[in-house]
Amino acid sequence: MPIVLEQLSHHYRSCPRVSVALEDISLTIHDGELLALIGHTGSGKSTLAQHLNGLLEPTSGRVLVDGEDINQKGARRRALRFRVGLVFQYPEHQLFEETVFKDIAFGPKNMGLTGQQVDQRVREAMARVGLDFEEMKDRSPFELSGGQMRRVALAGVLAMQPRVLVLDEPTAGLDPRARDFLLGDIKRLNQEGTTVVMISHAMDDVARLATRVAVLEKGRLVMQGSTLEVFSQQERLAAMGLDIPDGFKLARRLRQAGLNMADHVHPEEIADALAAAIRGGGGDAA
Amino acid sequence: MTQSPHLTLSELSYYYEPGAPAALDRVSLQIPRGQFLAVLGHNGSGKSTLAKLLNGLFLPTQGSVTVSGMDTRDDARIWDIRRTAGMVFQNPDNQLVATQVYDDVAFGLENIGIPPEEMPARIDRALEMTGMSQFKQHAPHLLSGGQKQRVAIAGILAMQPEALILDEATAMLDPQGRREVLDTVLRLNREQGITVVWITHFMEEAARAQRVLVMDHGRIAMDGTPGEIFSQVDRLRELRLDVPPMTRLAHLLQERGIPISSGVLTVDDMVEEVKRLCPSCLSS
Repeated sequence: MPIVLEQLSHHYRSCPRVSVALEDISLTIHDGELLALIGHTGSGKSTLAQHLNGLLEPTSGRVLVDGEDINQKGARRRALRFRVGLVFQYPEHQLFEETVFKDIAFGPKNMGLTGQQVDQRVREAMARVGLDFEEMKDRSPFELSGGQMRRVALAGVLAMQPRVLVLDEPTAGLDPRARDFLLGDIKRLNQEGTTVVMISHAMDDVARLATRVAVLEKGRLVMQGSTLEVFSQQERLAAMGLDIPDGFKLARRLRQAGLNMADHVHPEEIADALAAAIRGGGGDAA
Repeated sequence: MTQSPHLTLSELSYYYEPGAPAALDRVSLQIPRGQFLAVLGHNGSGKSTLAKLLNGLFLPTQGSVTVSGMDTRDDARIWDIRRTAGMVFQNPDNQLVATQVYDDVAFGLENIGIPPEEMPARIDRALEMTGMSQFKQHAPHLLSGGQKQRVAIAGILAMQPEALILDEATAMLDPQGRREVLDTVLRLNREQGITVVWITHFMEEAARAQRVLVMDHGRIAMDGTPGEIFSQVDRLRELRLDVPPMTRLAHLLQERGIPISSGVLTVDDMVEEVKRLCPSCLSS
């Protein structure tokens, strides 16, 4: 159980219009899962993300990482926070060093690692996001494409070797190819054992990657379940102003029109079910 | 109505630096008045460069661009050109300057020397056309992303343009903001006859255009109706573009031997195709 949120609440004192409070959120993020956090703009997703690695402190409630309170006082605090890596929205806006190497090395250096360890960490992190070390290390981050810059920013977090990776809108503003690369990276990192929490508006991306989905509305956790369970509840999501993947919309429309067609998450499964239904002339389709 | 070309590119090339690869390579294109044209292409394909050439922000290295018959290289006409073909950019926060929505829309009018007594009517009308009238007195920075973009569009509409060029105007917005902005621009195109060049990464947005252009390596790689373009799934993949989920599903069904037509773009299209292929499947 890498992260457990216990009745987490967060209230802003100063600027209520800009930021959203969180109310009584209890949520467990399981080892190795890929949890998508969805919700309307302003529902509190980004605020919640910042609690996961202690950037914000709860007004009440606790955040436990591997059973320990991330906001405890004392020496453990820093070490616990390094276990959770947070990649902000548009993380490339935070690149600042003159070379790719220095930018990625910033985190591990800050952790007090030796030069050799830092070098090793940077190499590994770059390899994990598909950036060639020799070709890229001395380049200025600012002359890279948008997709490459984002991968440098991601590598900077991976170099700290977090067990849990929290990504806030990782594909926003990327073109389809860069998005495919990045989603591929995220999927692979998850398969290699990193727990991932991904905030996203892109429901088709969520359907493609997530094993579980949690839904926030006005600072409260209102739904959680498997991707299939959550997206099957189209009315509830629509009432919150949330979209669902096209495959779910289609299945629902066909059911309304009298075809017995179940919900499926993946395009291949949808195609199998629909092909069977069409061949069967509308008889039972799985 | 005659379909005289409104925006014309002739053998247009553009180089950011001498000796660099061409960002646009001998592109010829005619955009008729009143058309809604979507431009797709991966990053670096030349689509943003194209946008900036269309209203004279960049000038051609070779070839020419004309807007309502005016050549963008003609210094004397450049302000007429920019007023005729207004441009909306990606980041709404970089486009708003004033502390009130009303003043923000007024800003462009002051710049082009519209007499003060004409301004209120123009501003009110522009805010009405973008559905932002009720926010007239609001501070722009407290609006949602979609609302900010609609204010940016109102600022341009107040100048009474004949064409709107939107360079990934929805890229930084959430789904609701994207819908708001696209619906607004579609309505302006339909009701006001404004020519629209809509540059985007989102296939489902391009699917709503009359015509879709795909750029690659500074050239036009594909040009056709959404149905024609999106039915070429393999070609789009080659060009490093995605296809809409329902188009991909149609492709998967074809692979499974279902004779589904290739022009499927939306959930509605797919439902129609299922009806056609299997009338007995659906009771209504």
